[in-house]
Amino acid sequence: MSSSTTVAPSPVQAPQKGWAGQSVPRKEDKRLLQGEGVFVDDVKRHGMGYVHFVRSPYAHAHITRIDVSEAEAVEGVYGTLTGEEVAALTDPFFQIAGAPGGQIKDYSLAVGKVRYVGEAVVAVVAETRELARDASELVEVDYEPLPALVDARKALDADAPVLHDDAGGNLMWHGSYEWGDLDAAFAEADRVVRIEELHFHRFNSTPLECDGALVEYNRGVGQWTIHTNNQFPGFAAIMMGPAMRVGLDRLRFVTQDIGGGFGNKITSHPQLVVCCLLARKLGRPIQWTEWRTDFHLSMSHGNERWFHDTEVAVRSDGTLLGFRTKALDDAGAWLRYEPLGGVIWAQVTPGMYRWRHIRVDFTQVATNKAPVSPNRGYSRMQHLWFTERVIDIVAHELGLDPVEVRKRNYIRAEEMPYETPNGCVYDSGDYARMLDLALELVGHGEIETRRAEAAARGRLLGVGIGSTLDSGTNNFGQSRLINPELQFSGNNEVATVKLDIFGEIVVTLGTTPQGQGHETTAAQVVADILRCSPDDVHVRAGHDSYWNSHAGFSGTYASQFAVTGLSAVKGATEMLAGEIKRLASAVFGGVPVEALELADGGVRIKGSPEAFLPFMACGAIVNANNAGLPEDLDVTLNCRYVYRPPFQVPDVERKFGNLTLTYAAQIHAAVIEVDPETGWYELVDYAAVDDCGSRINPQIVEGQVMGATAQAIGAAMHEVFEYDEDGNLLTPNFYDYHVPHALDMPPLATGAIESPSPFTPLGTKGMGEGGGAGIHAVCAAVQDALRGHGDAIVWDSCNPYRRVWEMLEHPERSRALVSVT
Amino acid sequence: MKVSGEKTFAAPRATVWRVLNDPTAMARTMPGVESFDVHDDRRWTANVKIPLGLGGLKMKVDMDKVEERPPDFAKLAMKGTGVGAMMRMETSFNLSDAAGGGTTMAWDADVHIAGPVGSMGQRVLQPIVNQQVQSVLSALDEQVQEAAGSTSG
Repeated sequence: MSSSTTVAPSPVQAPQKGWAGQSVPRKEDKRLLQGEGVFVDDVKRHGMGYVHFVRSPYAHAHITRIDVSEAEAVEGVYGTLTGEEVAALTDPFFQIAGAPGGQIKDYSLAVGKVRYVGEAVVAVVAETRELARDASELVEVDYEPLPALVDARKALDADAPVLHDDAGGNLMWHGSYEWGDLDAAFAEADRVVRIEELHFHRFNSTPLECDGALVEYNRGVGQWTIHTNNQFPGFAAIMMGPAMRVGLDRLRFVTQDIGGGFGNKITSHPQLVVCCLLARKLGRPIQWTEWRTDFHLSMSHGNERWFHDTEVAVRSDGTLLGFRTKALDDAGAWLRYEPLGGVIWAQVTPGMYRWRHIRVDFTQVATNKAPVSPNRGYSRMQHLWFTERVIDIVAHELGLDPVEVRKRNYIRAEEMPYETPNGCVYDSGDYARMLDLALELVGHGEIETRRAEAAARGRLLGVGIGSTLDSGTNNFGQSRLINPELQFSGNNEVATVKLDIFGEIVVTLGTTPQGQGHETTAAQVVADILRCSPDDVHVRAGHDSYWNSHAGFSGTYASQFAVTGLSAVKGATEMLAGEIKRLASAVFGGVPVEALELADGGVRIKGSPEAFLPFMACGAIVNANNAGLPEDLDVTLNCRYVYRPPFQVPDVERKFGNLTLTYAAQIHAAVIEVDPETGWYELVDYAAVDDCGSRINPQIVEGQVMGATAQAIGAAMHEVFEYDEDGNLLTPNFYDYHVPHALDMPPLATGAIESPSPFTPLGTKGMGEGGGAGIHAVCAAVQDALRGHGDAIVWDSCNPYRRVWEMLEHPERSRALVSVT
Repeated sequence: MKVSGEKTFAAPRATVWRVLNDPTAMARTMPGVESFDVHDDRRWTANVKIPLGLGGLKMKVDMDKVEERPPDFAKLAMKGTGVGAMMRMETSFNLSDAAGGGTTMAWDADVHIAGPVGSMGQRVLQPIVNQQVQSVLSALDEQVQEAAGSTSG
């Protein structure tokens, strides 16, 4: 064996400290910026039919008759699908909940009854998108309207309309969580602050690209290929396979580029089932691209949550001892991912604070509104907004400085890793230092001077802080706190790395990136281990469950790629590096592996740079020139690694255990100016400080921070899915639902510290969902601005100008919600 | 959405009652009626084009008289379907002798709009409904005057 087949590689210079930590340009951007990405709507097939959904105009009604004959008679219409057919061809979707919520029967089209405006009732397929839409108007559906339940607070009233008779009422899930000694905490308290009601509103993160799919059915092998932008194919497969009565190998999920997800694209499995059934029924590929209004009406609203009868035990100096509250979660009409929101919040039970005595009575109910499911910051955002509101209301009512209250109660850097009252282990962090940095970035030292200056101009200046955690890498064992019968726990992700015939380094991921730059960061990690350039690493774009890089929890969701995805990449690459060395050892005639090193795109003997085997030679030898290799040389140069985070099954009785592996943090500070005449306000300064452990690509992290901040500002100031009393969604498109654009963005300063996680292979933490801090910060800033001008309490997470005006005009209304003893 | 009001007509109660129960006369009071079919004395169907935004909203409206106590009270249920909207309305009127002569009609209606048009919300629909009601009432006044004139003549 000789090195005669080698070609000198391009000279590459790894930076002194490695590629990880460098803001290398994103591999994905060229194709995305040049319009050459492949999104689901770009996938075309010969003879495909376009599907359009006929949707319910009623929030709650019996379906008494469906007639598709007129629609089917139109030339160019290929066919239809009704709920009756769906009920015959599929089983109801598996329910995460036990009784009562688990007793509901959820199909992919409405069967016999509709439960929210926008619920899909019939699917119509035609040769063009426009024809399908027009023909759907010819479908006759007779409804017998029923009273609608819109307000979750009335869901359990005796006279409330019941959505699901199978569940015996509107209660979907209830659980009591209690840790520590509440009685002792309240006995020890100098003051008790009571807050009657707080409300976290309903919105979602409105990705630029709506949901979609191109589904083909291969009749010969009984198999579907589902090109889709669903962001959690592992979950979709688990939902769809049993419902469709097929094994998961019959469902092939393929995706390349996705135009944003934010969790909203996890629960498209009902629509995907419809497309599968139609592809089989009509014998042609089925294309579905969701319209914006359809997305608003029916897809994944974030959890709306009420907090009632909150009591906070606090010492006079502002030391927080504990709290109790009753959380009421509005799940909407179906449990598509719920009631997991009933436990996900517990990942961050104490927020960032040291209080040890906590009771949360959690109830989730159904209403005649669109189903909720994950939305960036899923369920933790609601709870962290609550803890931040509590901090600011306590400070407000006791006349304390919110900055000092936070610093007094923050978990301290020296206490890390910190076990929370419910057994979660915050891995690392320095919240007080982050706060100082955020305050410095908004010029907090001069804030009183600026307040006076603003007052001279007739403006009310307010400053607010939002502290938030971004818990990442789920332990799916937490689902057992919802339903002990479930057999999920832990987590996993997979990657493969191979050296191909001509030395190409090819990486496949199990993830479904939606703009997070996975190709880039994976290449950085590979390059550091193989001692080459990220440019030499080809990371396959997108996801294909037929590649051998799909695990049970594959997908991109819940802040975990930097841990699960990159750890899988690291594991696979280290396996490959070991194989390369073992191969070289044999090629070099038995040189010990320890004497070899990877460098400059190949492997060499340490101290003898001329004894160099480029990767190209390695790939060629193993794949195409392998005669004579030692029989016991077990080397394929094609390595698959499944990363499995170190989790235990949580204690179901105590509701205790580590629910996620990492706990990134973000602290935001907002400065606003309010016009007291109208309630109009603007953000005049803003800072977001992030700590997500070791950053592989700081620029990508900063992009995530900025994007999440924009979404938070939108949610804090404008974005609401608002329903009227009949259950009509009043904000079904961008005419009524204002998402922030460039002109809405404040001057935004970002800062970062790095507290590497001691629990992850690269010191990384999942991140990207910490933007909820912006909602907290804006709420706090509004309350601060109104201090001394009626002293209203901010009780809702969304504060459009009209609400601020109401608070200025009628401060007594929100003041009535708070009392101190 | 609930709307109600009172209207006084310079005509005797029997005349007003007759107009209110004459489908042909009522069809003339409704805005945008393109065709009108009387199935029997309790059920009518109208094809209407409601002036709403660009182009107007075409709707087939079925009316059903669900209760009546001549010559004072009647209650109608209406159900309309059209592209982008479904309407349900229950309306009733109560006739009584006006203090200064003539007839007073106390009326109310409960209107539910579903579909994309419903999503526009009450802030948009309320003024439209109010406008339509005014239009109906003044047309009704004309019909009553006409009927009163023909009766007296």
